[in-house]
Order: sequence, then structure tokens, then C-alpha cells
Amino acid sequence: MEENSVLVVDDEPIVRESIRDWLKDAGYQVATAESGEEALELIKKQDFNVMVLDIGLPGQAGIAVLKQVKAQRPWIKSIIMTAYPSAETTVEAKKLGAVHYLVRPIARDDLERLVRETLDSAGRERTVTTEVEIRPKPPVVEVVAVKKSLVITKEGLKSMVESLAKDMEIVGVKSRHGKYVYDRIASFEELHLDYDVAVTPPTKYLLPARETLLKFKIGDEPKVEPVIEAIPRAIIGIHPYDIKAIELLDDVFMTTNPDPNYIARRQNTIVIGVDCLNPSPKSFAPSMDTHLTETGFDLLLTNIGADYMVSVGSEKGADLLAKHAQLREPTGDEIAKQKAVRDGALAKYKLSLDIPKERLPKLLEESYDDPYWESRSESCLSCGSCVMVCPTCFCFDVKDNVSLNLKDGQRLRQWDGCVLIDFAKVATGENFRHDKASRLRHRIFRKGKYILERYGRFGCVGCGRCATACLAEIASPLEAFNAIVESVQAKEAAMRIFREVRPEIELYAPRLAELVKVEELTEREKVFEFSLKDGKALGHRPGQFVEVSVMGIGEAPVSVSSSPTRDGTFQLAVRKVGDVTNALHNLKKGAMVGIRGPFGNGFPLEALEGKDILFIAGGIGLVPMRSLVQYVLDRRSSFGRAILLFGARSPAERLFLDELAAWSKSPEIEFHETVDRGDESWMGNVGVITTLIPKVDIDPRKTMAVVVGPPIMYRFVIGQLKKRDLPDENIILSLERRMKCGVGKCGHCQINGVYVCQEGPVFTLAQLRNLREAV
Amino acid sequence: MKPKVAFFDFTGCEGCQLDVLNLDGEELIDLLSAVDIVNFREVKTEREDDYDIAFIEGSISRESEIPRLQKIREQAKVLVALGACACIGGINCLKNHLPMEEALKIVYGKDAKYYDTIPARPVDAVVSVDYYVRGCPPITAELLKVIKALLLGKEPDIPNHPVCVECKMAGNVCVFERGMTCLGPVTRAGCDAICVNSGRHCWGCRGLVDDPNIDSEKDILKKYGLTVEQAVEKFKIYNTYAEVTK
Repeated sequence: MEENSVLVVDDEPIVRESIRDWLKDAGYQVATAESGEEALELIKKQDFNVMVLDIGLPGQAGIAVLKQVKAQRPWIKSIIMTAYPSAETTVEAKKLGAVHYLVRPIARDDLERLVRETLDSAGRERTVTTEVEIRPKPPVVEVVAVKKSLVITKEGLKSMVESLAKDMEIVGVKSRHGKYVYDRIASFEELHLDYDVAVTPPTKYLLPARETLLKFKIGDEPKVEPVIEAIPRAIIGIHPYDIKAIELLDDVFMTTNPDPNYIARRQNTIVIGVDCLNPSPKSFAPSMDTHLTETGFDLLLTNIGADYMVSVGSEKGADLLAKHAQLREPTGDEIAKQKAVRDGALAKYKLSLDIPKERLPKLLEESYDDPYWESRSESCLSCGSCVMVCPTCFCFDVKDNVSLNLKDGQRLRQWDGCVLIDFAKVATGENFRHDKASRLRHRIFRKGKYILERYGRFGCVGCGRCATACLAEIASPLEAFNAIVESVQAKEAAMRIFREVRPEIELYAPRLAELVKVEELTEREKVFEFSLKDGKALGHRPGQFVEVSVMGIGEAPVSVSSSPTRDGTFQLAVRKVGDVTNALHNLKKGAMVGIRGPFGNGFPLEALEGKDILFIAGGIGLVPMRSLVQYVLDRRSSFGRAILLFGARSPAERLFLDELAAWSKSPEIEFHETVDRGDESWMGNVGVITTLIPKVDIDPRKTMAVVVGPPIMYRFVIGQLKKRDLPDENIILSLERRMKCGVGKCGHCQINGVYVCQEGPVFTLAQLRNLREAV
Repeated sequence: MKPKVAFFDFTGCEGCQLDVLNLDGEELIDLLSAVDIVNFREVKTEREDDYDIAFIEGSISRESEIPRLQKIREQAKVLVALGACACIGGINCLKNHLPMEEALKIVYGKDAKYYDTIPARPVDAVVSVDYYVRGCPPITAELLKVIKALLLGKEPDIPNHPVCVECKMAGNVCVFERGMTCLGPVTRAGCDAICVNSGRHCWGCRGLVDDPNIDSEKDILKKYGLTVEQAVEKFKIYNTYAEVTK
């Protein structure tokens, strides 16, 4: 298959041909079809990465094509076009796996961008790279020229706020216990605009400490419903560093996998900033280039003495002024005064980075093994104060809360943080960041490196809150940054306008699936066969995972263990290790569960094509591996030799006995297996899985090894494969982490800067060489 | 079949049981429709010795309490420690620093000879405990959470991180910044920082997190003006039994 092949299906010649030309110009391989029939013929013969489909083809042909593609080539990502958008077709197309929806007339730029994004998200083969590629997402805003500033009197500001209060909730900074906090403002007199820093940031109004994501009903008629709540609100008096933090959250929650709850709140929020003229002694905002901002607000105030200067940052801001405020043009003196007070504020900052912030990522990379992390973290209480007061921290956990009637409940999201002890702990008990030092380091790396690499902005705005909140006095990223040093820029004058964002309303809402078959594999494992209630295929690639919900108990990530080449159902083999998996094991045929996904990249099928494949599976590693083995056997002619090595701890722990037996007899696959410890009945090999590797003859130039097993197995297997001269690029591993949200937001599955649910769980060894936390 | 629930009180003030009654009307009705309460001294006089879930309130501080508790353990399918005394020993353990005879004399004076006492201890020092509903008094929402988890057959999700997390979520100004000291940084969360929300500080009534950094907390208490003895006293109130005071 071509790497970037696109199929365009449209019955109107002019549309079809223009799209073909646009995409060809953009460097894609394009094929076209003018009817559903022709499209299906083409698809039978040839694989595509992306299909651009007119859903309004005569006689329901559009939906039929989607259905067929879903069944036959579920890995093809479809972009739907329509002239008559309707909720029904959107939902229908979504269920059939359409990833994007375009309304005619179609703009060339939009289409190209969508095709590009779709290809990127399709887990396309990442040709031999030594590092996992993390692409900062495209900005969600367009930048246009800023309007000039205006002047409002203090009395005028008061009446503006009072007028606004009639339309929406007003939130601002109040004094409490001699400190400052964001809270609801009942009267203008409570509002402080001259504070140093608020104890906790205003971002809680966009991502609250706790919120409901879903409502559900349990029982015979299970139901899941997204809950999205927002009220119109103006937040008055946000300092520039916090505005910069909101810009980061916008990038996190409004780009890939757009979060419906965040977006609803964001779009209902008016940001009225104020220049910080009396900075906190712990702040180092100028070093992070966040002490001033020209973007990210609707309005920005500067206290110039008698009056306030108002900068307009958006059309929303301009409209608001027109409706609620009386303003005048500034005098030359006032413009000079604004600059003078800002310069005066800058002079008051006491702390600064010893190096330009741009050097941080490299510096951190070089300091990964520095003894500093160990010594710095000794007094860490793992109390979470640093992350809970951070305006740029956004990690969360998701939990089910059932009513006492045990019939209905809610799925709740609440803040979580990477310094908390159980953050990276998975159901099997393994804690991937169990020591204080690695947690502290991870947090500082997020601030100075990982977030920057992902979103193009630093994960620290220099507000100094964490340094204030940390009783052990170790949380300050500034001190960490400066400590690891061996011994600010012009800004564009701009205003931000949100492009229309399409929230993924059902981002956290599972689809219902019926349990159609259960089979016991061992004492601890069962294989469950599910059929989506809407009758559609799952549309996964081998190696991808889904989030399985037992409503009321919770959600857990599970690898798909069947191949998409098999019929419409899919299988999940599950070990009983936690609440959700225990509950799954208690389910009977006919029970309903929730399914989100498939998620993750899956195995690189394109890179495997034509190669000899050495499958190495340890224990329940056979579960995800089985999807690939089936796939390869079903498309046998596309691959070279297939060799499967399987190791279990004991004969009783062997899974999929029928298939193991079939494979051992099949001429299509060379099969070797072993157990760590045998018993009376066991006649086969005894020994750990690495003992099988010397038994097979492989050609390292054309062999791809695919390895799936418990973390402990990887190091030894890799050692053996290297002895056989297999290059790092040819060794493929699937990693286990705590994939909580599946959509690259909650932070739990991170390995260094990489989100396993997005860039993984499948990596080449070459990629992992640079991921220190990986193996 | 609704599970049968029994409440038993040992050495304590019975405030935890009273707190169960603080459930709002609807919750209480829902609770009673989900379980049968067969034994509850604060509420009813009839008793039944057939029960599935036993809630134990109070610490164990007399020899005679040990066989009584063991018998309950044998009968109950699930045993839940309710409140600070049952979960961590609580304030009853303050007497453990004294010789027992002296403790008796201070409390009962010349009648001391009629009583016996042993160093106070939490329930899990005597029998195995399946679940803990912590706090002095316990948070009713957490009690319900444990009951619901039992009914659903899942692990109740009790945080293993310090109170600071919930305190910051609540947007509080740190107790230390207000010129007081606090055990929040080593105390298990789950209370939504209720004491700090009400203007006080954390006393540690929910016990310590699994891996508390006691040395660091002591250093912090010292930094904020406490002597070593005062810092130790602070821990002693609820956490004498946890041996962090030694």
C-alpha cells in the first residue's frame, strides 16, 4: 500500500476532480470512484489510508460504502462530506467509523488539513526514527491584528462590571486570611485588581476539581449520557501568566480529541486580564516570558493611576465593551504611563532563570541521571500541593459513583497529579514511578520539556505558586532549573479568535456492547466476545486497545485480542486483577458493557508487510499478540515467514489452547513454546522464553521481531535478539501503562514525554532507546 | 437478599454510630432499602446474632473485649472498622504512654481496683479488618461509599494521598501560611479537608498515608516554630499507635 493513499468517492465530477487535484498537489496518492459500487471494487483490490466520501451518494450508497469499508478494511479512516448536514447522518457516520465530517462547500485548506491529521492519527508507519515523534498540535486560534487600546475610568469599570453581572456570573480575586483567592464576586468592592498572586489559579473555572462526565443507568436497560454543564461567566483580574496557562489548556483540551466539557466552559467564559504590577516574591514570570501578554484575553486592564487602560483581545471583548462600558481614546501621556508601570513591575521581580528558557529541554535531557533528583526529593511529602496549585497542570482521574439504589450513577473526573504515589500504578500492582525522585523529576520534566515538545508551550508559567505551597521547599521549577545549570522575546501584537472547534461530545461516553460469548482460558483469564450494540465492527488495528466500562465499577484499558480480519465481533481476553476485570469476570452472556476506542497506534502493519515475522509472546502478552498472529495468518501472502515463540510460567497458565494446538500443526506458522516450570503432564520444552530464541534460524535483515510480555521479560529478550544482530528498528514492543482516559489528556500513561495511549502502546526498540522510563 | 448489617461498640464515645444517623433522610431511607440493620444500640434495642457485615466502633482497651471481637470476626463475612479509634487506635491510645495502673488511678481514683485495662489498640491489632471507614467522626459519604462498594463487589476507593490534595482542591489558604501548624501533609485524604475548610487545621484523625514522610513533616513543624516535643505531641493525639511518636 502507498504510504499516503487517499480514495475520493463522489458522484459529481467537478467535486471529485477538484479534490483529486488538490490532494495530488499536496503530495498524496489519489484514486477516485464515482459510485459506491466502483469504490467497493477498488477497495477490494487495493488498500487506502484515507477515504474522502460523499455521504449523499444516490440511494444510500454512501452509508453502504462506509459499512463495507468498516467490515472489510476497518483501518481505512473515512472523512465524510455532505451538503445537508443532519444530526442523524453524523451520528450514523460516526458509528461507522467516520473520523471527520465536512460540510460543503469545502475549503481546500480545511480538507488538506483534515487528511493530514487523519493520516497522522491513523498510526501510519513511522519510518525508522530513533525517537518517538510528538507533534505539537496545530494552534486552535487564528492570529489577527490587535485593536488599539482605550481608557476606562475606575467608576466606569465599576459600572461595566455591575452591568456584566446582570448577564453572567462574575468571578474575581478576593482577599482571604491576608492572601488572595478566586471566588464569586457579589459586589465590585470585593474585587481586588492589585493583588500579587492568588493561592490557586483561575483555571479551576475551566477544569474544575471535580465534575460529572457521564450519567448512566445500570441494569436491563443500560444507558450512558454525556453531561456537559457550563454557565456564562466572566473572570476578572487574571494575571498574564495565568492567561498563558489558559492558552496551554486550550491547546490541550481543544485540539486533538476535543474535550466537550472543557470547550463548553471555555466558550462560556470571558477572560478579563489585568497586568500584574506587584509580583509575588516567588514569581519568575519574566524568565518564562509570561509577565505580559498580548494574547489569550478578551480584555486586558492596566492600572495607570487614575484610570485603567483597556486592551481589546477579541471580538467578544469588543462587543462586551460596546454593550457595557463607556470609554475614551488614550492620551499620549497615558500610553507612556502604561509602558512605565509595566517597566516598573518588571523591575520588581526578584527571581530569574540563569539561562534562556529555550535551553531548558536540552539541559534537562542531559541531567536525567543527575543525583540532584534523589537528593532534592528526600523531603518530598508526595502531598500533591505543587500540582494542585499549578495553573498548567491538567492531569485527572476518572471514577464511578453509584447511587445507593445501585441503579444509576455518574462517572466523575477529578484532579490528579504525577507526584502522587499511586499515579502510575496499574491494576497488576506494578507502579511505574514508585519512588519520590522519579516523580519529582517527571514533574519538572513536564514543566521544562515534555509539555513543550507536545504543545509548543512550556508547562511552567513562572507564577511561583508551587514554590509557595511546598512546605518542604523543593517544588520550585526555577530552583530545579537553575540547580541543574552547570554553574525573553519580542511578542507579536495580536488578538486570538477561536476557530470553530468541534467538540467530541462523546469523547468520554462509551458505546454499548453486548457480551455474546465467554470462555474460560485459565483460572485467572477469560476471553470475552463482544458485539457493538449498533451492529458495527470495532474498526481496530491489531495491537490497539479499548477502554472497557462496567458501569458503576469503572473503566479499564484492555488489548483487543482478535484480528479485524475476523467477523464483526471482537474479543478481549482479560486477567482478573482489579475492580473492573473482577466485575467483567462475573458477567454472563447477554450483559452490556461500555466500549471506548479503539485507541493507540497498534502494530505497524505496513512495516511488517513482506517481512519475516518473529512473534515473541510471554504469558498474557499472547492476548494482544493473538490479534496480530490472526491478522498475519488471514493475509498470509502479504508476509514472509511467521515464527511464534510462546512462553508461559506453567502449563496451567497457557492461553488459547485450541489455537496453540492448531498453530503447532499449521504449515503457515513455525511454532515453539516453553514453560518456566513443567509438571507431570507437560512433555514440551521447559525453560524461560529466551531459551527458544537460539533455536530458530532468522535472517536479521528481513526479520521483524514483535515482542509482547511482562516488563521483566523485555530486557532479556532484547539481549537475545541483539545477539542475533537484529537492528533496533526491527524490534517492536508493546508496553503496558495506566491508560486511564485513552485520549491523551489524563497523564497517567506517560513514559517520559510520550503518551502511551497516543504514540504507543507499540514502539520500536529504536524509539525506546531514548525513553528512559520505558523498559 | 439484603445483607444484614450490625454495629458494635467497643472503647469509644459512640459518636461514630451517632454520625451514621446524621445521614440525610433520603440517604437513610436508601440505605435501609439496601441493607437490613439488625444490631444498632444507638437506634434499636432488639438484637440479632445473624449478620453479614459488622461495623466495629471504638478501640480495644480491655482484656474482655478481645474474645468478644474475635467472636464477631468469626460470624461476620465482612468486618469494617468504623472511626478513628477502631481504625488507628485514636485518642484512647494516649494512655499507652503511662503504666496501666497509673492510667486506671487517674480515671477511676479509689475505684480503680474494680476495673481492668490494657494498652489501647486498633481493631486490626486483634483481628483482620476488611475495610476502614476513617475519621473522628467518620465522613458519612465515605461510610456510604464503603457500603456501596461492598454491595457492588468492588474495592472502595479510599485515597492514599495526603489531605493537602483535597485542601488545595478546596482552594484553601495553607494553614502554615496562616501561622498555625497542620498534619495534613502526612494524613490520609478523603475528608475533603473539612477541618481546614472550617478555619482549623488537620489533626490527623484519618491516620497516616501508606508511606508518610514523617521526617520531613517533623522538620516542617520545627521550621514553623514547634519544638521536637511539641511536634511529637501533635502526632500523638490520634496517631500514638502508629509509632511515629517514638
